[in-house]
This record gives sequence, structure tokens and C-alpha cells, in this order.
Amino acid sequence: MQSLLLYLAVGALVGYFLSMINRRLGPIVLLALSLYGLFTLWNMPIGSVEGLFGFEDILQFTALSKYFSIITLIVFSCYAFFNIVWISKAKRPHAFSALSILTLFGTLGVFLTPHLIALYIFWEIAVVASLFIVPMGKEESKKATIWYIVISSIGSYMFLYGTFLLYSKFGTFNLFEISGDIASESTGFKWLVSLLLLSAGIAKSGIFPLHVWLRNVHGNAPDTFSAVLSGQLVKMGSYIIALLLGTFPIATMFSQFYAGVNIFSYVLIWLGNISILIGTFMAIKQNDMKMLMAYSTVANGGYILIGLALLDQVGFAGGLFHVINHALAATMIFLSFAAVVYRTGTTKIDEMGGLIFKMPVTFVTYLVGIISIAGIPPTSGFVSKWMIFQSLISKGMFVTAMFAFVGSIGSFLYVFRPLAGVFLGQLKRKDKDVKEAPMIMLIPMIILVALTILWGVFPQQVLVWVTDVQRQFGMEPFKFDGTVLYSSLGHWDSWTVFVMFMVGFIIAAVIYILMPKGKKIPLDDQYTSGEFLHNFDLYHYATKYYAFLEREYEGHPSFEDWYTSIVNVLKAIGKGVDYFVRRTASAYTFWMALVLALLLWVRW
Amino acid sequence: MTALKVAGIFLTAFFFGLTFEGIGRKITARVQRRYGPPWYQNFIDLFKTLSKHGYTHGWIFDFGVIMALGGIIASLGFVPVGGIVAFPGMDNFFVIVYLFTIGSLGMAMGMVGTGNPWASIGVARALTLMLGYEVPYMISIGSMLYFYRTSSISAIMSAQGGDWNLVKFPIGALVALISLQGMLGKEPFEAPMAPAEIASGPMVELSAKYMGLLMLMNTFMEFAEISLFVDLFLGGGTYFVFLLKYLVVWILVVLISSVLPRFRIEQAVYFYWTVPIILAFVQVFMTVNGFVF
Amino acid sequence: MDKIEKIDERGVWEKIADQLRSRSMWMLHYCTGCGAVELPPSTTSRFDMERLGMGPMATPRQADLFLITGYLSTKTLRRVIYTYEKMADPKYVIGFGSCTINGGIYYDSYSTINRLDQYLPVDLYIAGCMPRPEAILNAFTKLMDMIRKGEADGWKRYKENYEWYKQNQLRSLGEVVVYDEFHE
Repeated sequence: MQSLLLYLAVGALVGYFLSMINRRLGPIVLLALSLYGLFTLWNMPIGSVEGLFGFEDILQFTALSKYFSIITLIVFSCYAFFNIVWISKAKRPHAFSALSILTLFGTLGVFLTPHLIALYIFWEIAVVASLFIVPMGKEESKKATIWYIVISSIGSYMFLYGTFLLYSKFGTFNLFEISGDIASESTGFKWLVSLLLLSAGIAKSGIFPLHVWLRNVHGNAPDTFSAVLSGQLVKMGSYIIALLLGTFPIATMFSQFYAGVNIFSYVLIWLGNISILIGTFMAIKQNDMKMLMAYSTVANGGYILIGLALLDQVGFAGGLFHVINHALAATMIFLSFAAVVYRTGTTKIDEMGGLIFKMPVTFVTYLVGIISIAGIPPTSGFVSKWMIFQSLISKGMFVTAMFAFVGSIGSFLYVFRPLAGVFLGQLKRKDKDVKEAPMIMLIPMIILVALTILWGVFPQQVLVWVTDVQRQFGMEPFKFDGTVLYSSLGHWDSWTVFVMFMVGFIIAAVIYILMPKGKKIPLDDQYTSGEFLHNFDLYHYATKYYAFLEREYEGHPSFEDWYTSIVNVLKAIGKGVDYFVRRTASAYTFWMALVLALLLWVRW
Repeated sequence: MTALKVAGIFLTAFFFGLTFEGIGRKITARVQRRYGPPWYQNFIDLFKTLSKHGYTHGWIFDFGVIMALGGIIASLGFVPVGGIVAFPGMDNFFVIVYLFTIGSLGMAMGMVGTGNPWASIGVARALTLMLGYEVPYMISIGSMLYFYRTSSISAIMSAQGGDWNLVKFPIGALVALISLQGMLGKEPFEAPMAPAEIASGPMVELSAKYMGLLMLMNTFMEFAEISLFVDLFLGGGTYFVFLLKYLVVWILVVLISSVLPRFRIEQAVYFYWTVPIILAFVQVFMTVNGFVF
Repeated sequence: MDKIEKIDERGVWEKIADQLRSRSMWMLHYCTGCGAVELPPSTTSRFDMERLGMGPMATPRQADLFLITGYLSTKTLRRVIYTYEKMADPKYVIGFGSCTINGGIYYDSYSTINRLDQYLPVDLYIAGCMPRPEAILNAFTKLMDMIRKGEADGWKRYKENYEWYKQNQLRSLGEVVVYDEFHE
């Protein structure tokens, strides 16, 4: 671990200078480092303790660390591989490569240490490194970065305050040592500390009420970096939430509220519910495909929070499994969008169409990504959704179950919109010469597709990691036996589902092949109600795809406007102060007269 | 053994699904004071479409149609039909509901892949309607799963014993019936497939065997959904008793659909989000507090 | 006079398929001229068409039967040909009313056509201005008979004599030039 972190820190500098020779060397350095990290951490035994920079025992490799590090390294490896070709379109390739490596350094550091101050330092390294990459995207990304840093700081400073509060009470910064003593404190103290420490996680995962930065930042960042932002950096927030919920442990710290769920978790579950609602319904409205998936990250962050806050045998495992599902799916989707933008140059859905005939592999990647996010068997997305639903119903939490169902079904709506608008439909005349993305870009996408389907049919490997985490926190581990998954309400077998799916597919294919073949007709041979059309570009339904549904919730309150109004209030106060300190003759005279009057009044 | 049971379920669905559809057409005709087609009309329609020479719009169109039919056949294998239970204990409710969505996604993908905007509009409406009917359905069935502490359909079927769940959870059954009308795509929730309004919606560019495969998919989907309702609320039963109960539910659905016009899609979604959800939560409240008849 | 016996060249599958096709014909819901007013009575309760297995279909891709109900202006004829070519084989055309046979009461108009047979292959004509629903149902049963005997092969004739039909269409209707107000 220690060597890995040192290699990463040095690797950032090395990457910077190497990319000056040839810009493609930067991502190659990142790829080599991530693969090295994946190999080392996969084989490292859980529980090993090392020191760093002379601090003893500061790095600890727990089961949670292993799980999250492996997710991070998979995402970063695919990102680095993709960048080898994409970096030719990046604005500042040298800084881009160096800062990506620094982000990996910060993230892995967060996962590897239980010392709260070291965790904070690594957290800020990751935030600052990603902060400088975001403005390298579109024009609007510069304003978006301000949102990012402000909301991230809200979380980080509350975290720091909570840390020092704990230090003043217990005299130590190590989280595992504190967890034993905290149960005896007063309820008010427990609430305060837990909320302060968790707000960092909430701000980073984009949970309501700190979700407003996601749309602009993920939507306007450089295309491949959106994959890292959405697939991996929000998982840092989930890591903090999982760590705190399990270590304190929240399950016994607060009083029971409903069916075995304590009051603090219930508050978190309601934050998750509202995030799902906001994420789903805002995503349905979007016309820009990256902003749409950014809202999907909000909704899935809500799912993860609900799963983690349930803190029981099935629900906690479901939340953790959803972390890896969303990481893989979001990376796949954002990488396929990056390939599309690389070839067409736009992210607006209604300016594209019919790209499936030109970019089939990109389409398949996107398709498997949305099948996983919507939670459809046989991909891995269904396993986590199943676990969360079973847990919610077995506890009788039907209001939360309603939000979970709405999120799941609503996700079909918003993920289908880019599918129908970008890939299917009529091919626009300006896109006639678009080619498939280069082979090197296709390889990481294919790898991610294979992983999603593999872990959907054989989820054992991920379940082993997840149950290790549950055992670390002293919870009852999730029960599974080969490919059969058990819960208190019933069980199912993922291999049987896959076999049945194949059987159905083969029967349908047999009937299809036996019947007379159809004649292939081009895209402009359509039923047009008998009309002759001049311009088939306009015969494409993509603008305001769900207009009838959007009308139903048109006048909704907007949280972004609320934050902007607070900003305007601060600006007005600043203007008020500014009034008194303008550099004009009358202002100088005023202040001089005031000070003289004050002196005279005091003197006499 | 399992393979035989699965084959039995498919053949039952094929033969009786198409026969009951023909009977449904006859009943609609009688409601409208005319004679109507013979009961075997749907078989003839299906084989006629499979024998024509059609047009295809590309590989995504073919793949979408095969995926649609394949997904529905896969989910049909899990539903207990009459006395035939292919996977006892493993027919989890959520697995079946989500396997339906493979079929829907395949159909949606294939249809939009033809490049015709009518298909996109129809699919947008179908997905929006899905957001409407699934939520009260899953909440009311969820309350039943909570009561029986199991989510396996065959377990609920046998746990009913003599008392049907229709009697024990009447409001839940009503909500499930309203959602069933939406799931089957019958009036008054027929907006996605509106024949003359949006030129059949998703089916606008389907010719020959693709139309036949999709008609088969529709038949299997109806069979699976109504079988689910009969298993959960009317106690399943042996083979012919099951088919009799199926016929009763089917006739009820057809009678409602033959006299009602179509809702607009936003009216349908608005309706689903007011009345059935409130009823579902009333049922949940009753179940959680033990008011089960 | 001896009736000329047509040789039935269909294979076994084709014969079975024709039996099925005759019992379930779907007509295209495309109402061209004034004869369209006779279709609703044929479809609805009094002269029920559905007991013969027929029903209206919204798109040409799924329809087998195309009813040209009444006169055809050149504008409509262009679109009728466009729609006819979208239908899937095998497909049948019925000409309703006298206007399709010899021009009817518009025989000397500058914008309607007189003989449908020269532009599209017609399987069956129904005489009358307009034919009543009883005549229409009679025609449908005759068409079904023709299909079962293998005589309703308009679609094959269209494919074999495609050049001749296209020539006629071009001579009478001219080339289709698509005007679009954005590209004038």
C-alpha cells in the first residue's frame, strides 16, 4: 500500500513530464499504475497495517477498503485506456494526465486510512485535483467549478469540525479507536458528530440537499473525466457513509424507530427518497445527454444511501452491491457518450440520430449500461435492486418502497431518451460520414460490458467482497450459495434466469429463421401517412420527448434557484458594504470626518 | 422434468392464450350486437402474418423483435400455470416483473430502430404508462408479500388454502385489477397502441413475420400477467379450474375494455397517481395493522 | 364456350397459406374517394365484416387488402401508388365503384384517371356508384374464393410487369418532385 501510494505521487510528476514528449504517454502511465494497483490490492490480505511518511500504523487495509479500491481501480484503468486515444482532443493534455493521477492518489488514500486527519488530507487532494480538471471542458464548466468547490467545501469543513470535536472529547484521531467509546455520550453529541461527519459523504455523493452541483459539473466536464466523476468520485462519498454507519455503529447508537431501523438511519433514508425523486424527474426533462446521466447519479446515490442506511443482512449488502453496479454502468455510459462526442462534436440529444448504423459497438455498450442501471436481469444491476426491494418489503417500509419503485421504473424513461434520440431514429445528413470510435476506445467499453454481464450471472465474486465487509462491521453476512441468493422473503438463482433467457431467445430465433426472410429497406422508406418528404432529418422524434409527462410537473420548486438566491443575498450584502468603502472623494471625506468626530468625542 | 413442465406452460399459453383472445373478440362483438369472428380467428391471423414476405429495417429491428419474444418466453417459464410449477420456490415476484421489462425493452428498442417517429411516440407513451401502473401494483402486491413473509408466487398460491386473497385483501385486488387493465394495454389505457391516432404506435413499421412474432409476444404477455393475477388473488388451482378462473378474469377485462374510450396519456398517468396509489396505501395500512379478512 | 382452365402452380405450403390468408384479410384504412362512406356500415354491427375475419388496419405494412373507393385524382393516385409499394406481399387491390372501371361520372375530368388497371394491378372490381354493403360483402367473399383458387395474383403481375406500370404512371402523372417550403 505504502509503495503504491508513493508510486502514484511520483507518477503524477512523471506523467506530466512524459506527456510533454508525447501526449499519449500520460494515460499510459496512469494505466500502468492502475493495473499495478489492481494487482497489488487484489492479493493483499485484509487487515494488513503499514505506515506512511514516518507516521506509524496510519494505513490500514480493511474489507471496505479492498472493495472500494478495486472498484476505483477498475474505473480508472478503463478511463486511462480510453484516454490513450481521446487525449488528442483534450485542451491541456499534460495537466490533464498529471491531475488524473493525483486524483487516483487522493482517492486511494481516502480508502486506505482510518486516521481522520490523514483521510481529510487525501480527500482534499482528490477534490482539488479533480477541481482543476473540470474547467478544461466546455465554456460553462468554469462557472460549474465554483458550484463544485463551494458545496464540496461545505461538506469538508463540517467533516473537519466534527473531527476536531471528536479529538477534543477522546484525544485520538483513529476512527476505530473512537468507535468503542462513543456510545456512552449524550444523544445531542451523537447526532451532532454523526451529521457533521456524514455531511462530507452527502455532499460528495450528491444527495439532497447538496445535489445541485452534479448537473453542471458532470455535464460540462471533459467527456472522459465525467466518467470518473460519476463512476468513482461520488463513491468516495458512499465510502464515508458506509464507514461511519458501520463503524460507530449507528445501528446501536440511536433509538429504534420502525421495524429495526433507528431514527438516524430513517432521516438518511428520507434524504435518499427525495434524492431519488428529484434525480428521476429532473432527468426526464433534460435534453443534454450528459446532464441527464448526472441526474441519474443523484438518483442512484439515493438508492445507495437507502441500502446502506438499512443496516441489515440484505439491505446493506444491496447498497454495497449497488455501488459497484452504478460505478460500472455510469462509466460505460459516459465512455460511450465520450465516443459519440469524439465523432460528432455535440452533446444535445436532438441534434443527433440514427448513430447505431455508424457506431454499433458504442450502441451495445450504452445498451448494456442502461439495462444495468434500470435493473433488468441478467445484468448485475438487478441483483442489487432485488436485494434492496426484498429488504424494504420485509421490514414493511412501504413509503420508501414506493420511492424505490418510482426510481426504478422512472429510470427506464430517462435512459431510453438518449437511446431513441441519439442512436436510433433517422440518421441526419450531416452525420453521414461518422465512423465508429477507434479500436482502442472500444476495448475498455467491451471489457466493462463483459464484467457487467459476468457479475450478473455469477455474482459470487462481488458477494464474497460484500460479505467480508459485513463481517468487518459485525453484521450478519448476506446468505448465498453458488448462484442462489437468499433473503428472508425468498430466494432465486441467477444462473437459472440466464438459462431461461437463453432458451426463450433460442425459441424466438428458431421461429424467426423458419419464416420467410424480409427485404431490407433503407431508413427513408417509412410510413409517412402517404406524404412525400423532402428532408428526412426532421422526421426524427427527439425534442421534448416526454412533453406530456413534463407538463404534469411543470411548476416544480427548484433547489438550484434557492441556492442562487442565497448567492444573490450575499452579493447584495457585499454591495452594501462596498457602498461605504468606495474610493471617491466623498467617501474619503465621510470616513475622515467620522473618525475625527469619534476622536473628538472620545477625547472630550 | 423441469423442461417438460416449461414446455407444458408454453403450449398452454400458446393454445389457450390465442383461443381466449378469439373468445374475447366474440364477446366484444356480441356487446356491439353483431356476430364476430370464429373463436379460432387469432390462430389464423398469426399464421397468416407469419407466411407473408415482409420488410426489415436493419439488424436492430430483427434483434429487438427476437429479444422481445425471448424475454417474454423466459418470464412465462417462471409463472405457475394451473398445477404446473416449473421452478417451485424460485419464482420470485420481482424476478418475474423485471423479466417482463426485458420484453418491453426489446420491443421498444426494435420499434424505435425502424426510424419512424410514430414508433418513438408510441414507445414514449408506453413507458410513461408503465410509470403509472407499476407503482400501485407493486405496492399492493408488496403488502401481500409482507403479510405472507415470502415473495415466491407458488408459496403464496399454496398458502391461500381455501380462502382466496381476493377476499382477504379486497382493496389490493381492486388495485391490481386496475393496474392489470393498464398492463394489458386495453381501454381505457390504450393510448400507447392507439391505432388511428398514432398509426398503431410502436407497431407502425411491422410487416409479415415481425408482426406475427409481436402478436405472439402480446399473447404470451397477456397470459403471463393474468396468470399472475389468478395465482396471487384467486388461488391458482388445478389445470382446468385455473383456466376457468383465467377465463372469468379475461371476460371481465374484455367487457370493461369494450365499452370505454381511451384516456389521454397524461390523464391516465394522473389517474394512476391519485386513486390507485391512495387505495394501495389504504391496503398497506390495513395489512400492517393486521386488518386482514 | 369452354372456360380456360388456369393451371394451379402453387406448392402445398402456398395452398395452405392461401387458405389462411383468405380467412383473415386486413384492409388498409385508406379512404380515397366518396366510396369510403360505404365502409363504416360494412364494418359495424349491421353488416358485420369481422365475422369473415376482416378488419381495418392503420398502416400499409400490416394490411393485405387495399380498397380504392371511388375516383382517383392524380394527386391521390401518386400517394396510392406510394402506399401500395409499401405493403407486404401478397397484397390484393379491389376497385370500388364505376370510377375505377371507366371513369364513372368524372370520365371527362382533367384531374382524375379513368382506368385504374393501367396503374395498379386490380384483382376485383365492384360495379355501382356506390355499391351497397351487401354488394361489398359479396365482393369480399368472391375475393376470398379467388384467393383460395390461386387466381388473385395481382401482386405477382405487378412485379412481373413493373416496367409497363411505371411507364404508365410516369406518362400520366409525371415525375414526383417534392416541394418543400424550406428549400424553395
